Amino acid sequence: MEKFKKRLTILNAVIEALIKGPETVKYPFGDLALPEGYRGKIEFDPDKCSGCGLCVRDCPADALQLNKKSREEYTLLYYPARCAYCGQCEDSCHHGAISHSNNLVGATTHKDDWVLVFKESKASQE
Amino acid sequence: MDKISIPIGPQHPLLKEPLSMMVDIAGEKVLGGSLRLGYVHRGIERLAQQRTYVQNVHLIERICGICSHVHTTAYCYAVEALLGIEIPPRAQYIRALMCELERIHSHLLWLGILAKHIGLETIFMHTWHDREMALDIMEEISGGRVSHAANQIGGVRFDLDEEHIDMIRGILKKLHSQVDGLVDIIETEPAAMARTKGVAPISPDMIKAYGVVGPVARASGVDIDLRRDAPLPPYDQLEVKVVTHPGGDAWARTFVRAEETRVSLNLCEKILEDLPEGDVSLRTPRRVPEGEVIIRAEAPRGELFYYLRSDGSDKPARLKVRTPTLATLSLLPVQLAEINVADIPVVLAGVDLCIACADR
Ligand code: SF4
Ligand code: SF4
Repeated sequence: MEKFKKRLTILNAVIEALIKGPETVKYPFGDLALPEGYRGKIEFDPDKCSGCGLCVRDCPADALQLNKKSREEYTLLYYPARCAYCGQCEDSCHHGAISHSNNLVGATTHKDDWVLVFKESKASQE
Repeated sequence: MDKISIPIGPQHPLLKEPLSMMVDIAGEKVLGGSLRLGYVHRGIERLAQQRTYVQNVHLIERICGICSHVHTTAYCYAVEALLGIEIPPRAQYIRALMCELERIHSHLLWLGILAKHIGLETIFMHTWHDREMALDIMEEISGGRVSHAANQIGGVRFDLDEEHIDMIRGILKKLHSQVDGLVDIIETEPAAMARTKGVAPISPDMIKAYGVVGPVARASGVDIDLRRDAPLPPYDQLEVKVVTHPGGDAWARTFVRAEETRVSLNLCEKILEDLPEGDVSLRTPRRVPEGEVIIRAEAPRGELFYYLRSDGSDKPARLKVRTPTLATLSLLPVQLAEINVADIPVVLAGVDLCIACADR
């Protein structure tokens, strides 16, 4: 009898699974519903950046690079392919210039996307 | 009968990670085996000496893809010990919560792998589905499914609000009933028992001689668990039920891990209940004073050992990691002797190896 009952539980599980449908999402066609705080694609706010280089110093993957000529003249580069999405830069930046969004990171076929210029200061643009 | 040597690995459907074994067989009997390691050696200990303490948190996290959090926990406690600081109690509890969630998902992952190897594909599907719940919690609260980046030197990087706690409680409740069902199957299902009972028994003497730790040791009746014996905070304030079984065979190892999953689920609930108020992190200096420290933590697979020496700069002078799998690996050739060829998967899967941890 016990054994029979157990068989029924398994049968229940099977029927439940059938009704519920697949557990997986057909990405990229389905919606992934990532949590709010997910560490996805990095967003950058150039207006807030002061070029202090704290993010560059703490990035464990060498994904950020600061080319600095002077206080006013600098470029901050970001290499997405090196990034480990660890969130350290967001933590290290005191000005809130870097943040993770909950977008998933897409692959790219464009060479230009391998390096992103996060900020080019006014002085260095001239 | 003639002796034949069969290579298993480094790439083999039986293994989820690269490990090379030469197994000697005669007919259906296995005579013994030898091991070759190092296929996933990444030189992490050396690399750690070239990075700052802050950067190392993320490097250390990548030693293992399953128990990543407990590695950073041990590392952060080591650095904090050298700095002479104690992190806020709320941070300690959140660290422990993550450790227990990690144990749950690690044990469920392993259970699925064992089930798959002994031909119980349905259990494999169910455990991996249930494991996803634990991963969902971790993803929701930390922002990463596998690399949680939860720890930082001086505390943790996120706080839990009421909404989080309710969400975790809800999922844990669901997980609890699922795990109860799984444990029931393991303990009574004749097919699972037939494949694991009496296979590759390890005696307590062998456990001690080889220095085996964790669930494998506990499944041979050796009553050790660092969460109780040498607790890192906050385990000194939590009561940890240590599950042991005198059997020593593959079934006992399954039983111990399945029960431990339940214990961890209860611990998670206890942690949420006792969660102290306050901050979750402290600001810490970048330079660490000269000194050396040893930290031991109970990872899902047993005792994890960290040695850290500082020379006063912002980079470690030496970091040594010893992972629980190392001892288990040395026992593998012994376990393989005198078993049936068909039981090789049970032995290999039964001890829950983590090669990436052991190779680093
Ligand atoms: S997320 Fe981590 S790896 Fe990526 S840029 Fe920021 S610090 Fe560097
Ligand atoms: S992003 Fe933030 S940390 Fe990085 S250079 Fe700009 S201000 Fe400094």
